[in-house]
Amino acid sequence: MKKKYIDMILRHVLLAFLAFIWLIPIVWLFVTSFSTYPGRNTSTFFPEHWTLNNYKNLLFAADSVAQFPNWFKNTFIVACCSCIISSAFVLMVAYATSCMRFKMRKPLMNIGVILNLFPGFLSMIAVYFILRTLNLTNNHWGLVLVYSASSGLGYLIAKGFFDTIPASLREAAYLDGASEATIFYKVVVPMSQPIIVYTVISSFLAPWMDFVFAKMILNAGISSKWTVSIGLFNMLDKSLINTYFTQFCAGGVLVSIPISALFVIMQKFYVEGVTGGSVKG
Amino acid sequence: MEQVKAAFGSFFGAIGGFFKNFGNAVAKGDIFVKLSLLWMGAGYCRRKQFIKAILITIFEVAVIAFTFGFAMDYVTKFSTLGTVQQESVFNIVTMKNEFNDYDHSFLILLMSLVSFVVWIIFAVVYLNNIIHAYELQKLAESGKHINTFREDMREFLNRKFHITLLTLPVIGIIIFTVIPFFVLFLVAFTNYDQQHMPPSALFTWVGFRNFRDLFSSGGLTVTFGYAFVRVLAWTLIWAVFATFTTYIGGILLSLLINHKNTKLPRFWRTLFIITIAVPQFVSLLLVRNFFANNGIANTFCANIGLTGWLRDIGAISTSYIPFLSAPGWAHVMIVIINIWVGVPYQMLIATGVLMNIPTEQMESAKIDGATPRQIFVHITMPYVLFITGPSLVTDFVKNINNFNVIFLLTNGVFTTTNQLMANSQAKEVDLLVTWLYTLTQDYYNYKMASAIGIIVFLICAVFTLVSFNRLIQGDREEAYR
Repeated sequence: MKKKYIDMILRHVLLAFLAFIWLIPIVWLFVTSFSTYPGRNTSTFFPEHWTLNNYKNLLFAADSVAQFPNWFKNTFIVACCSCIISSAFVLMVAYATSCMRFKMRKPLMNIGVILNLFPGFLSMIAVYFILRTLNLTNNHWGLVLVYSASSGLGYLIAKGFFDTIPASLREAAYLDGASEATIFYKVVVPMSQPIIVYTVISSFLAPWMDFVFAKMILNAGISSKWTVSIGLFNMLDKSLINTYFTQFCAGGVLVSIPISALFVIMQKFYVEGVTGGSVKG
Repeated sequence: MEQVKAAFGSFFGAIGGFFKNFGNAVAKGDIFVKLSLLWMGAGYCRRKQFIKAILITIFEVAVIAFTFGFAMDYVTKFSTLGTVQQESVFNIVTMKNEFNDYDHSFLILLMSLVSFVVWIIFAVVYLNNIIHAYELQKLAESGKHINTFREDMREFLNRKFHITLLTLPVIGIIIFTVIPFFVLFLVAFTNYDQQHMPPSALFTWVGFRNFRDLFSSGGLTVTFGYAFVRVLAWTLIWAVFATFTTYIGGILLSLLINHKNTKLPRFWRTLFIITIAVPQFVSLLLVRNFFANNGIANTFCANIGLTGWLRDIGAISTSYIPFLSAPGWAHVMIVIINIWVGVPYQMLIATGVLMNIPTEQMESAKIDGATPRQIFVHITMPYVLFITGPSLVTDFVKNINNFNVIFLLTNGVFTTTNQLMANSQAKEVDLLVTWLYTLTQDYYNYKMASAIGIIVFLICAVFTLVSFNRLIQGDREEAYR
């Protein structure tokens, strides 16, 4: 019995220690956002004087560098649009490949796998030129297209889910005279709530997390058109960091709160997605 | 490898079958099917499907107009990528300097590719059209019902619903993945760089020269070969370390949290999840300032005397610890910081697997008198490794392309002191993808960036083909039918 207690204590001490290390940067982010000193706090971990001014400036006193409300609005609009398009694309491709049988199905899926090998990141240069030819650079629609146009390739997780819906249900509906389209949105979609939640949240989060594409497409330097990620990145520019570091932290806290909430909802489904559905639960 | 072969086999088999159907249709079709070879609407007109005939005729005319009104301007110059340099010419009529009718090499490249894609799509529709006309003929000959336009349209919500579903996503993928891929591929064989920037200058084909530059060593001014070997080595070392440290760390952490002696497992899990729920550009930029040369970590190390001690033993020559600004230190720090980023993810996955271990085996092992340690070594661990093992390959590929961690941690902080690296715009901590990014965004060296892109693609392809079977998941798909 005594041995078990020692084991328990050791475990919790170790866990507490690890959690402590893991949370240091997060705590630092949080406390620095309340600091009165605007630059990097290099001498002490906790700020010497506390204030709410950083949040107030960020939200109500936008200047040419920090336009957080604008950035938040831009990111939100881009996220909503690309979320609608990419969720629709993913579910459409998943239904077609999972529930329907047609000649080109297997070949198309194989091409999909090969295309997925090609990291979207590498196509950046070419995508940029295509968008410039279409006059869509420095434009939020261009960004929406970049996030959502190829999203059909990410159908595998949703397909894995659709595969588990018993075919007998669809066949029964078919015998009752329902068309494939009716089966799609009257039978399969209502039964797929978990995977729809996962798809919607993950595609909504992508624009909030992305940095590379936003920086490339909105590169003209009109700061009111930026998204949150480039805006905050720019605050840490060498010439700005000493006046904006604490506002960066405040902005970081503000975007992290809604994103964390969505992320926690999504992580339940994340596990199943990555292990390829080998795990049920 | 068998799956790979089967996959390619099914692909070419489908294409072969398609052409066989086409040949059959042309050989056995009546005069209207044969007329469809010229006028695509002929077959439909004969079977009184007039709306379809009009639509397909409009499509045919549109493609012909596209070909001669637009595509030919570009495709004919594809072999040279343009010959007329942009020049400013004085126009006597308008009394102004105007540009001549110059060639834009990149537009020629891009629009030629677009034209090829349009023609391929047209070819498929064209061949399909003949097959379809012949099918209609057979229906008519056997006296069966021929669909009206309305009925045909309804088919797209029913038997042909997959076409309705797939059209838009496939167009998106073609424009934003397939065409960019081929553009990248072609640019790697040109001399498109800062000295050859359209519209003011032309670029042209140079064959394998960029790849030769990338693989040859020597030279002092152009040192791509020198930098490439080093960047590639670090990319692979990084990918190996990043993958295995987070994988092992994640499994150990999840074992620790999910052990029966640990109280409040949910609480501990949430603590770790918080760290990954914060967007990477916030958390990594913050960590970078935490470890900056004059950052708080350095203040702390100086206060406890670590900095002084390191200087005494000669590990550093500066008054601070160059966590992210000197090679060696930066390499180690990046891997360590990546453990911080990656372990919670792996912990989540491993937790999901651990909670779903089939209990029958454990029960029977217990009845047979196995100790908890034996159960752990012989049942739990093999099961976890078996389920999560294949994801190691995907993680490895993801890490090769892990732009965020490297870029956000080192951009603007790390400057190389190695002149040979600097000559090719590389840094010791660069991955192939971050190098590619710098080359395009800061130096407009598209030719080398594209060559590097192709190399990255090949590396990823080799590793992914290994786990090909799992990605397709063909084995699971019929399980519930």
